[in-house]
Amino acid sequence: MTSVVVDQITKSFGQQRAVDGVSFAVEPGEIFGLLGPNGAGKTTSIRIILDIFKPDSGKVSILGGAMDEAKKNRIGYLPEERGLYQEIPLERCLNYLVTLKGLSPAAAQERINPMMERFDLMDHRKKKVKELSKGMQQKAQLIVTLAHQPELIIIDEPFSALDPVNTQMVKDLLVEERNKGTCIVMCTHQMHQVEELCDRMVLINRGKSMLYGSVNEIRRQFSAQDLLVRALNEIPAVIPGVKETSAHNGLTRLILNEGVAPQQVLKAMVEMGVVLEHFEIATPTLDEIFIQVVKGEGARQ
Amino acid sequence: MRNIWLVFKHEYTRQVLRKRFIMVLISLPLIILLSGGVGVLAVLVMMNNDPIGYVDQSGLLSDPVNLPDSAGLSQAVGIISYPDDQSARQALEAGQIQGYYILDANYLTTGKVTQVAIDPIGENAQGDFTTFLRANLVKGMDPKVAERLIEGSSIEVRALEDVTRKAGENDWVNLVFPLVMGIFLMMAVNTSGGYLLQAVVEEKENRTMEIVITSISPDQLMTGKILGNLSVGLTQLVVWFAVPLGVFFGVRPFIPFLRDISLGGSYVWLSLAALPAAFVMVAALMAMVGATATETREAQQVAGLFTLPLFVPYWLITPLIESPNSPLAVGMSLFPMTAPVTLPARAAFTLVPAWQSALSLGLLYLAAFGSLWLAGRAFRLGMLQYGKRLKLAELFRRQEA
Repeated sequence: MTSVVVDQITKSFGQQRAVDGVSFAVEPGEIFGLLGPNGAGKTTSIRIILDIFKPDSGKVSILGGAMDEAKKNRIGYLPEERGLYQEIPLERCLNYLVTLKGLSPAAAQERINPMMERFDLMDHRKKKVKELSKGMQQKAQLIVTLAHQPELIIIDEPFSALDPVNTQMVKDLLVEERNKGTCIVMCTHQMHQVEELCDRMVLINRGKSMLYGSVNEIRRQFSAQDLLVRALNEIPAVIPGVKETSAHNGLTRLILNEGVAPQQVLKAMVEMGVVLEHFEIATPTLDEIFIQVVKGEGARQ
Repeated sequence: MRNIWLVFKHEYTRQVLRKRFIMVLISLPLIILLSGGVGVLAVLVMMNNDPIGYVDQSGLLSDPVNLPDSAGLSQAVGIISYPDDQSARQALEAGQIQGYYILDANYLTTGKVTQVAIDPIGENAQGDFTTFLRANLVKGMDPKVAERLIEGSSIEVRALEDVTRKAGENDWVNLVFPLVMGIFLMMAVNTSGGYLLQAVVEEKENRTMEIVITSISPDQLMTGKILGNLSVGLTQLVVWFAVPLGVFFGVRPFIPFLRDISLGGSYVWLSLAALPAAFVMVAALMAMVGATATETREAQQVAGLFTLPLFVPYWLITPLIESPNSPLAVGMSLFPMTAPVTLPARAAFTLVPAWQSALSLGLLYLAAFGSLWLAGRAFRLGMLQYGKRLKLAELFRRQEA
């Protein structure tokens, strides 16, 4: 059963079209990236999936059908801007929010305690939420999202406010959840996190779906016939079949002429006496793809 | 139902465990107890049950009628006759009496009485001596006439156009009580409404609402919130009433003038009937304001417009008391925002026609349900409009989000 099916949804606020015909599907056991610049329509799409907003047109199927009250207990949601009751102790706040997901207070506490231990929050459980750091509140919010063991997790910028240690902890947690068969929809700007964690992705810009598919496939689609090389001696300024050379993160980027194969260039370099230490086909990062797509769309607009 | 209960419990405990709430809850009864205590203390300090004496130079008290004994704090003091100033002075200096009075030889024409004391004579003793004198002045008269002369008349005020009005001066408590009750009611309604308003705006501002409504429905959230905060107001009301009433019934047996007071009347059940609707109406309006506003300060300013009409009856209290069946009074007891105070207040001064009571309560409950409906709509439409105000017209026009 596909966990989430979004089919041609649109949503406008007044004259502003926030989402314009977005479609994608997410399977159980995968981490799906929902990407896009600020104001692209990601949060509106998430709110439509969660039935907070009704779409103007299009359909959403979640956990095998339309959203209903019972399904809310099978979903974990971490919004971009965190929401915890600031004036009450952390333990009470977590217990209340988790019991709203259908667990008894005792059962909720049983789930919360090991997670508080894991996130180093146990010593802070009696403190008021407002007394905790941003990072601690972020971890507390993650506990609320995950404690009821949802089948579908929707998380918006899960790594904001986290230090590298906690970022890694959350990544490990998300991978664990995926391995258990949980479907995770992750909304983020941080492309390196998407490259590291996501199996598939959709890129939304100005409410429209620009790219959709597996992360590797998308990167392959955007890969150029460029070479990244490092040599033990000097790389000649002119190499047969190479249009342009430039420095790139300690490597030299060789932009090849149309129709020239990388093997031909490598052979020419060896024949010219270059001692190669490292070479690779330059695949663009998601950051580069993101900028290229968003800027290209901007130019068209 | 479970979710409503969870929200209710959370809202209730969140508010009643706040230091600010506990301070407000305790401070009012404490002020009442303190001011009452100071009053009682002042009376006790001014009381002195030692005997008093008198020297009768007029011959009026040659065969005196004594005051009957009474129980409680203010039992009558002993009144001792002395043949002359000298013997009375000796008794005073010996501490046998707290003071004495000398009735002038021409007392009946001049009314002159001289009081002699080392320390001021207790107010109760002064009162007892005055009563003693009066009782002896009317000695020999028809006992009924004598009683009327001593105790005075029981004046019942009745308006010219209103034959049903029957406000006796001994019923002053029953006239004041509904007005005080109204003040307490409005304070409690405003407090709980204020907490609700704050809770809604805060949750909207800090995005907690977005988390909660992905777990439960907006209607469950709103219902739980309203019920929770209403209970906070009711808790306040119960404590505020229980303490003064407890004190009242506790000290009543010991204070004669309190013994004459009986609480009761149609205003009591009218107040009780209006209470839930008034609470729901104000709370729902506060929830609506909270859901449509963008920040707490703005919400509080708008909420003021809704709570202001509740106090209008107090501004117009004089015409209400003078003409409790005037068109103004009837209109105010029918208008839902002014009815919770006006209706019981009118009932204390006049016999409110049953149809008016029924219509007033009917309109009030209708307004309460209407406010709930509006609040529900505002909640669904405005709860996630961060930084953008929901216009009132949109509440009636827009499709659900």
